[in-house]
Amino acid sequence: MKNTNNILAGLAAATALFITGCSIPYFSDRSDVPGTVRFDVQATWEGEPYALGEVVEDYAGHPIQLHNLQAYISRVELRDKSGEWIGNDRQYEVNLVDFSVESPRVVEPFPAGQYDAIRFGLGLPPDINGQVTPADFPNDNPLSVEGSAGMFWTWLTGYIFFKYEGRTGAVGSELLSEPIAYHCGTDSSYRVVTFELENDLWLWGQQLHTFQLEFDAAQALYATEPINVIDYPITHNGPGDTLAYALMDNFAASWQLVK
Amino acid sequence: MNRFAWVAAVVLCAVGCSRCTDPVECADCYPEPTPYELDIPALFPPMDIPADNPMTVEGVELGRYLFWDANLSADGTVSCGSCHLPSSSFSDPSEVSTGVGGAQGVRNSMVLVNVGWSPSFFWDGRSATLEEQVQIPIPHPDEMALPWHEALARLEADPDYPGRYGAAFGDHQITQERTAKALAQFVRTLISKDSKYDRWRRGETTLTDSEFNGYEIFLREGGDPETTPGGQFGGDCFHCHNEAGTLFTDHLFRNNGLDASFEADPGLAGVTGMPLDSGRFKTPTLRNVALSAPYMHDGRFATLEEVIEHYNSGGVPSSTIDPFMKYTTGGLALSPVQKADLIAFLHTLTDTVFIHNPAFRDPR
Repeated sequence: MKNTNNILAGLAAATALFITGCSIPYFSDRSDVPGTVRFDVQATWEGEPYALGEVVEDYAGHPIQLHNLQAYISRVELRDKSGEWIGNDRQYEVNLVDFSVESPRVVEPFPAGQYDAIRFGLGLPPDINGQVTPADFPNDNPLSVEGSAGMFWTWLTGYIFFKYEGRTGAVGSELLSEPIAYHCGTDSSYRVVTFELENDLWLWGQQLHTFQLEFDAAQALYATEPINVIDYPITHNGPGDTLAYALMDNFAASWQLVK
Repeated sequence: MNRFAWVAAVVLCAVGCSRCTDPVECADCYPEPTPYELDIPALFPPMDIPADNPMTVEGVELGRYLFWDANLSADGTVSCGSCHLPSSSFSDPSEVSTGVGGAQGVRNSMVLVNVGWSPSFFWDGRSATLEEQVQIPIPHPDEMALPWHEALARLEADPDYPGRYGAAFGDHQITQERTAKALAQFVRTLISKDSKYDRWRRGETTLTDSEFNGYEIFLREGGDPETTPGGQFGGDCFHCHNEAGTLFTDHLFRNNGLDASFEADPGLAGVTGMPLDSGRFKTPTLRNVALSAPYMHDGRFATLEEVIEHYNSGGVPSSTIDPFMKYTTGGLALSPVQKADLIAFLHTLTDTVFIHNPAFRDPR
């Protein structure tokens, strides 16, 4: 009997230790230890997964084959219940999403807390773009010479925020004879994408929360303004060029956050 | 230890080490190699050095000996330097290089200029590191045609090399890995930074009107704006031969419209197996481009004028041609004067200090 009591007491103690020992530090530390939000980024075409090289049709019936899809994502922030946007204070920590890479990701640390919205910059904010020299960054930084390969114009004009490249052809044709080269940049092209969350995000200390972030490359051609890819196949955001701004508005409206 | 033993040990170390064959015994006989300080100029990015192959004075010097050693080819006639001549900016003036026994390669020898910043090697990028890349030519049947085990045996039999390996790596052991590391260390020192362009960027000289016009053409979008959206009558050079870091390459792979099909050479697709990579080749640096003819992966263009004319034409359409090529809108539409100015600018990238640097020459 004495043995049975000892065993029960031991079990009770262990259970209590398990409950209190596991949960108390977990919750009490949550305001001090950051959590992590990860965005697994996926290209889609009208909601279906899309891989570069696949031939699809745009809204007007033009055949489209994308070869290169890259975008800078910066200033990822969460809005807490007081309405304050919370982000990291590392000014030059940005992300270059390359859709030719399998499973591109954006990973950001955030303080533990309750959040109701997410936003990020599409492109690079003016305090970075045109203000920095790629050679000043270590090679693993997306702003560096190597990290920005193909995404940097010159010291005067800064970085290309979004590259949307491929080939197209006439409506109904299978011949992909025409190039598409949409290169958008300059400070005026910087856009902010905001998602209001249906359910609050509770981010605990040391917790990883994953979102699926989808970019619909089909909507990118019409989301806010339809772009005729035959009439307007190229932009480099030159002076007086409004196509790039229309495209950036489209690009900004083509993201979906999927829980 | 008595006095006799001490004396014996000192004598053994002083006299015997250069001939000892046991790497463990030899380990204490060489001082630590001297760190090699790379002179990275302003405007250049930092160069990543592999943690397992730090640059040392002795390693670089060993690499230089190896680079110029024709004994590393089957018949003793071809060294790395045979196809990477300083006068041609460490490339080959032939369309394709000639290896042992007259064997012909299939691609033009790439320039060895500032390759320490490159994230991939060969025209098709099949090597990810310099240490990998330098191991290919020695046994390649069209190049030096010497199996590695024979190359190592020759190095071991050489009276000079064991000591050099000892100085660079701490003992006499001669291995393929160490040989590759030493070669890679030497190649990383091949930095061009004293062209007229560099001096201009440093504020030490000025460009002529023609050179500066050429620079502006280099940085402008290509094409006639009447026919090419966004066209600025520029050369459209900067997209790929990017000025960032003053490396004049983005190190990416592109199909620049040379051919309509790729049976002869699939380029990057031969490595990745991806159809979208067909006909894509690595963007070479433009540093010393005036010295490194002929041009393109197969050396098909003999002069810079031919190269400019190719881009001016817009190139040959194909399934993977780069969208920068103006093949549907009449090409770049450069005038004869603009072409001449562009070539004048390209000549400002010539660095004679680099090609005459005695530290890069055959040490024997």
